[in-house]
Amino acid sequence: MSTLITISQLRWQVQNKTILQNINFNVQKGEVIGIIGPNGAGKTSLLRCLTNQANILNSSQITGSVLLKNRAITQFSAKEIAQHFAVVMQKNDSIFALSVQDVMKMGLLPHKTLFSLDSDHDKAQITLALKKVGLDHALHNHFNQLSGGEQQRVLIARALVQASQILILDEPTNHLDVYYQHQVLQLVNKLNITVIMTVHDLNLASLYCQRLLLLNQGQLICDGSPEEVLTPKQLSQVFGLPCQQSIDAITGAIQVSFYLNDDNAQKKPVLESSDE
Amino acid sequence: MNKVSTILLALTALVILSAMAAITFGPADIDSSELLSCLVSTCQNPIANVVIWQVRIPRVLVALVAGMGLAIAGAILQNTTRNPLADPYLFGIVSGAGLGATIANITLADNLTIALPLAAFLGALFSVIIVVFIAKVLQRMEQLLLAGVAVSFMLASVTQFILYFGEPFATNRVIFWLMGSLARVEMSNFYVIASILVIAIVTVVALHRQIDALLLGDESAASLGVDVDKLRLLMLGICAALTATIVAYCGGIGFVGLMIPHIVRQLIGVTTLKLIIGSALIGAIFLIWVDVVARSSLPHAEIPIGIITSALGSIFFLFIMYRSRAIT
Repeated sequence: MSTLITISQLRWQVQNKTILQNINFNVQKGEVIGIIGPNGAGKTSLLRCLTNQANILNSSQITGSVLLKNRAITQFSAKEIAQHFAVVMQKNDSIFALSVQDVMKMGLLPHKTLFSLDSDHDKAQITLALKKVGLDHALHNHFNQLSGGEQQRVLIARALVQASQILILDEPTNHLDVYYQHQVLQLVNKLNITVIMTVHDLNLASLYCQRLLLLNQGQLICDGSPEEVLTPKQLSQVFGLPCQQSIDAITGAIQVSFYLNDDNAQKKPVLESSDE
Repeated sequence: MNKVSTILLALTALVILSAMAAITFGPADIDSSELLSCLVSTCQNPIANVVIWQVRIPRVLVALVAGMGLAIAGAILQNTTRNPLADPYLFGIVSGAGLGATIANITLADNLTIALPLAAFLGALFSVIIVVFIAKVLQRMEQLLLAGVAVSFMLASVTQFILYFGEPFATNRVIFWLMGSLARVEMSNFYVIASILVIAIVTVVALHRQIDALLLGDESAASLGVDVDKLRLLMLGICAALTATIVAYCGGIGFVGLMIPHIVRQLIGVTTLKLIIGSALIGAIFLIWVDVVARSSLPHAEIPIGIITSALGSIFFLFIMYRSRAIT
């Protein structure tokens, strides 16, 4: 496996507030990486640094380096970055009645020049990508009228049309019910491209990511396989709740449950177990 | 041929037919056979020749490009700000142009041919700079429209203050100018508006994919390689140039930029290329016919064109509101 991204000594400050610090890790080609951690840990911020979107904010100070194929990310043009990274954000709705086809065509943008129109090859690519996510029948449907899971799948299909080497997903299972959570992550896993995603649900992260990065208060606490990262001791420290680990009988993946630290209360699982 | 192409082709034919038909309307009695002979060969009647070539054709052509320009400006603003209520009027562009034109009208008695559009353009540019500055300070694009409304009222109050203390004759001229009219347009006005219109259309067609990318949010567009701030600023500049030039020659013509893209979205589609072409064609048809009504509904006078567009626009919006209430 070849190294695609190298991050060393990354530190991001906005108006004297440290968002990220002392971040070091590499991303190998073909890896599916999950970034986990509590709210405000810096998960989405890390994605922003990866795609060079952190500089947009006023009074933003970034030190350290993010190298893409051994070249500093800051040396890439916005178009070149879009040719390497396809990003699926958390919030993607439009006030106008865009069709699925309109959204898919956006994925062609990083590969198009001014004035260029859609070719037959572009149309074929769009159909193929939608077929991959099982939505080829929805080409002319209104994007806003699709379910949350279908919208995520369309955006993943758009990322396929974008033909980037790295897929970035910010909380792809947010607001989705259990069925769509698994459907979307299974789809992401089958794409055979490098994936970096923030995941809120630790058990889903364990099931679908080869490697996890645990963040807390802007720092990288642990980097490794789900077995190495999802240890009760580590998770209890980061999330501030007692944690229990088990092996899922069907998938064999590590599963974790958290408990309220109240001796008088009946032990009742919170957070993770409710989703599974 | 698909549905969109058929509609666009039919609209193009309607623009040509509307323009031809509009030339026959007016106080001088010119029938269609006389018109046809004047257009394709030489005019037998010298009066008809002057009326057709120096009065009616410039007027219809200016109505055509002004309608196109105002509708396109509205469509660009709406797509780049993701706000269906964005309009050159609400962004303060027209108020800025109005202030510039007022200052030129009051301070310069002669040489208004060049000074008026130039002053209107500078006024529009001034208002755009203030609106963008406020939105930048607030760091919230959704505030752009509210900033525009505030700037619009502010500049309008300055205009009214100047008019209140201005010389009555110049004040009258400005007030009539603000109501909008195509009565005094010349062929040279058509060339100026058409040139800026061509630049605007070419730029928007070149960048249509980038503008489309904005429709799913700034962050999504940035991830697709779009420099969001630069693109939005460029588009605002184009709208300011387009609107300012039209307002400078034709006065205040409201609601076209708000109303026409709304119709186009229902009829043709929401993406920039479809919206721009559709808005240009329907905007042209609309303003050609509004001008016909303006100059032929009263026996010996004209109704200012801005009065008609505003009246139609408000009725249109009440209708839209009623229809959306019926649907929900």
